[in-house]
Amino acid sequence: MTSDEALMLEFQGGSRTAFEELFARYRKPLYGFFGRRLNNPERAEDLAQETFLAVIRAASRYEPRASVRTYLYGIALKLLAAERRKFLTSSTSGQSAPEPKTDGTPERMLWVRQALEKLDAPEREILMLREYEQLSYSDIAELLRIPVNTVRSRLFRSRLALKSYLESQAKSNPALRPNAGQLHTGRRGMQ
Amino acid sequence: MSANRHPIEQEELMAYLDGELPADQATEALSHLELCAECQTLVADFRGVSQELMGWEVESPEVGISSEINAALGERLKKREAAKVSWPRLGNRVTSRWVWVGVLAIVCVVVGLTLLLTSRNRNESRSTTYPSMASIEQYLMPDRNAEIALARSAAPQSISSDAEIMVLGWRGYETAIEGKNGFVCMVERSWTSPFNSAQFWNPKVRVPICLNPAGARSILPLTIKRTEMVLAGLSKAQMIDSIKAGFDNKELPAPEPGAMCYMMSRAGYLSDALGHHVPHLMFYFPLTDKTSWGADLPDSPVTLNPQFQGGPEPITEFVIPVSKWSDGTVAPAM
Repeated sequence: MTSDEALMLEFQGGSRTAFEELFARYRKPLYGFFGRRLNNPERAEDLAQETFLAVIRAASRYEPRASVRTYLYGIALKLLAAERRKFLTSSTSGQSAPEPKTDGTPERMLWVRQALEKLDAPEREILMLREYEQLSYSDIAELLRIPVNTVRSRLFRSRLALKSYLESQAKSNPALRPNAGQLHTGRRGMQ
Repeated sequence: MSANRHPIEQEELMAYLDGELPADQATEALSHLELCAECQTLVADFRGVSQELMGWEVESPEVGISSEINAALGERLKKREAAKVSWPRLGNRVTSRWVWVGVLAIVCVVVGLTLLLTSRNRNESRSTTYPSMASIEQYLMPDRNAEIALARSAAPQSISSDAEIMVLGWRGYETAIEGKNGFVCMVERSWTSPFNSAQFWNPKVRVPICLNPAGARSILPLTIKRTEMVLAGLSKAQMIDSIKAGFDNKELPAPEPGAMCYMMSRAGYLSDALGHHVPHLMFYFPLTDKTSWGADLPDSPVTLNPQFQGGPEPITEFVIPVSKWSDGTVAPAM
């Protein structure tokens, strides 16, 4: 399988096929990135496509210093910040951000989303970049411009906090939770 | 969790689960985890949180490349083409083509030298080279239990718990624990790399691997032989000759049908460039055309492993990445 970085260099060299392959690999993950953070499927799709537009426009400036994965999520984070700024401006002028759509959303997802919303924003972002985008500590540190040790300590705090939220939710409404009791199985053995 | 009782902090334990600890610390974490019930509970909790988070799936609509992207793509590729053809046009205006040839040659030499020097500087600063064998101590793991735990981490517990475990000693690999299921797990060292690899003598390399019974019968002897020759101080040329002779006189076996291995440890260190790499399975065959497996083709998850390519072993090895480490946690996508 050709690496992302090799595809990016091929695209720089003028290969349309290489771009199409990168698109195929990353469109869904990028949609997921925006989808989980914006609760707005239409904007999630627009912004996923805008990420690729930015890649095309900046292709000549790409240098294989960072992985393509990190590079793409770097662009996505910038677009997300701009989107949030836009909403902030529009909400002060009377418009409000769309409420998360909950119709037909499985309860388990709502439950996880609610637990995540209780975390501090910086810690939530680190946790999501690690769990959903599967970025390494150093990639997250580079993207958020914070030391690697800070990533690690915030990740640790956020996981413990999330565990505690999920446990308290399970206690208050056991029926809500499909995998109730999973967090404290007291499993033995490493693997 | 007191620091006195636990040689690793909770945060480090989490970093271990994320595949973020250096190999030596990961090995220490792994061997401690095997014995510490309190840490196992914490690990189970962290996994539980990850599993809960995975419950939030975002279903993506099937959408292709938008017309806006298509337009931008077309424009960019057109500009590139235009840039490519503009040089000859300029050249036609010059009366003597040789002037252009001369200028181009000078530019090429200058650019080439600059690139060469830059790349050399980059390589020197980024990676260490290992031109010769380090002292044997550097390849050995002083903690035998840690090596056993690391070897077991190559495959899911359902496989490795009943496998024979081999560890590296001063005289070569020796059986530390007898097995029951025909699998053999061990930690390979750098000299199982291709002979021309820059990592061939890297003493930091630790490659946990569990071979299935067919692999244990037909692939393991190669690792044993290479190790014996390394410890005996043979040169690379001597080792290559000896391996060739071994296959010629049938002292070394061809890969048996079905020979494969698990390499799913998050605690391994495959090379300076790869680190833990990704969890994967490998399949061994007598020399085979890679197209028969669709290896290295676009979108194919199968790749041809370079381990034996161009080497004295007449073996073809295919790699297929898998999505989880041996402990069941999700691995980063390739």
